[in-house]
Amino acid sequence: MDELEFRRRVYANPDNNEQDVIDAATQDPEKQAFRNELKAFNNRLSVASKVPVPEDLAHKLIWQQSVRDFALQKKRNRWYTAMAASIAFVAGISFTQWYNAPQADLSMQALAHMQYAEQEKSHSAVPVDLQQINAKLAGFGAHLAADIGNVKSANYCHLSTVRSLHLILDTDQGLMSVFVLPHSDDTALPKSFAGERFHGESVDLHKANVIVVGENGAELAPLKNKVTRNMLFST
Amino acid sequence: MRNKNGEAQVLSGMKEKQKRYETLVRAFHADIYRYAYWLVKDKPVAEDIVQETFLRAWRSLDSLQDEKAAKSWLITILRRENARRFERKQLDLVDIDDVSVFDEQPSTESALAHRELNQLMLGLKEEYREPLMLQLLFGFSGEEIAEQLNLNKNTVMTRLFRARNQLKEALESQNTLRGRKNG
Repeated sequence: MDELEFRRRVYANPDNNEQDVIDAATQDPEKQAFRNELKAFNNRLSVASKVPVPEDLAHKLIWQQSVRDFALQKKRNRWYTAMAASIAFVAGISFTQWYNAPQADLSMQALAHMQYAEQEKSHSAVPVDLQQINAKLAGFGAHLAADIGNVKSANYCHLSTVRSLHLILDTDQGLMSVFVLPHSDDTALPKSFAGERFHGESVDLHKANVIVVGENGAELAPLKNKVTRNMLFST
Repeated sequence: MRNKNGEAQVLSGMKEKQKRYETLVRAFHADIYRYAYWLVKDKPVAEDIVQETFLRAWRSLDSLQDEKAAKSWLITILRRENARRFERKQLDLVDIDDVSVFDEQPSTESALAHRELNQLMLGLKEEYREPLMLQLLFGFSGEEIAEQLNLNKNTVMTRLFRARNQLKEALESQNTLRGRKNG
């Protein structure tokens, strides 16, 4: 190996342990000395290259990763939470809308309320007097000019979401109910309807709808007419 | 039940990954930092780049199949990170001669020599400095350096030769200067 080649290779890598380099060095003391010198020089370079590392760097690297990962996780969780919240929100809205949507079928509700009417105990043995009824009717801007019969109870109740006044009357044709409910545009109220046990008829009065419900076979017209005749509305 | 197992698996997977990452940090952070320092010649910037490097390493840790390849994998990420830094903004590079590289005052003869060598290495052209550091810090062979830097081996060997040659000559000329001054 010529001098130049030897030097080039030792310069390029003083720790070169390739056989031909070792051989060349063993055979020539000058080359050996040069090689040793370069090795020593390289040692110094090697030491100098190892600049001090910030003491806490390893911790920082591990720490930053956990923190960012945690932040990411949190962000992801936040995203999940937001997602869940939106779903809950939409569900809530839909439910409310569905729930609040005036049931097209108020009549069915009226029929259902009849089941309760039977259980409803009158507040006293004495019939509810006209004054009490009128006090409750006032909310609808209505009042009764005269008695419409033996009213056992007068209570507000909700047909679907529509607040109504539910009068339960004891008549010679059994228990009957009169519902007074405010006008509501999007509410479809059939003129007459029937269920398994009860049937009902509705009438559109000046400012409110009135539904009269009685047992199947009971004649509703008399009571309906009585209500229609006697119910007056304030203007 | 299945869910719980799945969760446990994910958790143990995370733990496994965390362990691999910590091993990687402990094994390589020092030399990676040094390498970054020799690349950018600035300690705070070097530290930033190292943090960015390890963060990227964490993100794609799953792609590291061979632990033996970890070193060059990290170096690759680091070099990319450094290149990206230049793309982001052309930093005002300070001339290293104007900056005191070490805060500590060299107190001993060897510290002085050490500092001198440092300055000289920082003064090398990057194309010489980089392969030299791969060799000094990571013990890379000519082939490995060639692969890492995407050069052919002869070019690498020439650069390594020139790097040491320049350093040695510079050192000798300084010694001569000092010798004259002292004499």
